[in-house]
Amino acid sequence: MFDRVEAFCRPASVPEALRLLQRGKGKARIVAGGTDVVVAGADDIRILIDITRAGLNYIRQKPAGVAIGATTTLAEIEQSELLRKTAGGILCRAAATCGSVSIRNLATVGGNLANASPAADMATPLLVLEASAVVAEGRGRRRVSLADYLAGASAGRFSQAILVELVFPLPPGGKHRGWSFQKLGRTAVDIALVSVAAGLQLDSKGRVKQARIAVGAAAPSAVRMPAAERRMEGHAVDAALIADASAEVERAVQTIFDVRASAEYRREMSAVLTARALRECVAAAGGSL
Amino acid sequence: MKTMEVRLTINGKPGAWMIAPGDLLLDVLRREGYFGVKRGCERGECGACAVLVDGRPINSCLMFAAQAEGREIVTIEGIAHDGHLDPIQEAFLDHGAVQCGFCTSGMVVSARALLARCPHPTEEQVREALAGHFCRCTGYKKPVEAVLAAAAANRHKARNGSRARQKPAVEVLP
Repeated sequence: MFDRVEAFCRPASVPEALRLLQRGKGKARIVAGGTDVVVAGADDIRILIDITRAGLNYIRQKPAGVAIGATTTLAEIEQSELLRKTAGGILCRAAATCGSVSIRNLATVGGNLANASPAADMATPLLVLEASAVVAEGRGRRRVSLADYLAGASAGRFSQAILVELVFPLPPGGKHRGWSFQKLGRTAVDIALVSVAAGLQLDSKGRVKQARIAVGAAAPSAVRMPAAERRMEGHAVDAALIADASAEVERAVQTIFDVRASAEYRREMSAVLTARALRECVAAAGGSL
Repeated sequence: MKTMEVRLTINGKPGAWMIAPGDLLLDVLRREGYFGVKRGCERGECGACAVLVDGRPINSCLMFAAQAEGREIVTIEGIAHDGHLDPIQEAFLDHGAVQCGFCTSGMVVSARALLARCPHPTEEQVREALAGHFCRCTGYKKPVEAVLAAAAANRHKARNGSRARQKPAVEVLP
């Protein structure tokens, strides 16, 4: 499958990796965990560039928020004490649903997003955390919103760039906040048919101050659901409001279909998972239904 | 064909392999004679090819051999010590957890990693650790029981301060 590969490079820095990528003239492929690269295969690839030794393996708390290096494995995210305490641990929960233990020991958060699968498990929790992607390209680095990164990556716009880091502002804790990650898959180790991440902030009277909802595996890339979020904000949270927001998601989501599930089924399940996620958020935020 | 050298530790001993840059770890392991590492689905779904890299189970069908540079690899061949089976292997035998045996080596190395990190797992934790291993004989119950029994034996041993049960290694038929 990789018989025509002529060189396997292990650059020790991002600039070195970028130079190799440029020199590859479209025939070089970035490898992190390899779990998607190997399965996809590629007869035209001549150079493999392993970036797992380029200093991108870290989870750091900074004054402005949290930074996760692109080659941090899903197992490391799952087990991170810092991330467990952040936003109800939704990043740990999402990572823990991604394949088996032996996949998560290889697979990286950067690879999960750069592969641009609609079903990327890390995309929805990072979207509700308003994450940005830090991309190295040419001689510099730039920050793009994760939504723009996902859309660009699925259109192949970052083929000469390397995703180096995910950053998000540290969400304030407090008892009036709740988070949830929900995933529907055929088996414990299968990819998602639909996934939903949500975050709710309530005020002291039980009204929704802020709502964040993201749906994955339904649309061509994971997306936020702004209409459903607006539908909730400013209103007292109750079962009817959750039903309204879920119905709004069902209306708004653009669904794909494939061997795993039809578009209709995904659409319906988007609403079911949204309702589950919002109920969990309300419970965690100390609200009642 | 271009080749490159990869230096690593394999089952506790230093090794150096000449590989092609696009070789997968599974292919190189089997070429080097580690036939306990099974070739199953070749896409990270069945777990038959699992080995430990720096103590963590991975699917060797999804890892490039060149990525093993400087790493410590343990295959099923490196699980027994000094002619004595690992307690997990003993427990697999005692509990009838082996049917055709194709999935066994992967399950045992994953269980080994689990017990090293978490000596007294819950049944849920054992199930999660074995979730990436398909047994097409569908023998899932017995391996879970075996791993729990190996963990319980660990606990017993720790309490009594005694050494591991010294059972002779499995007799190899000519």
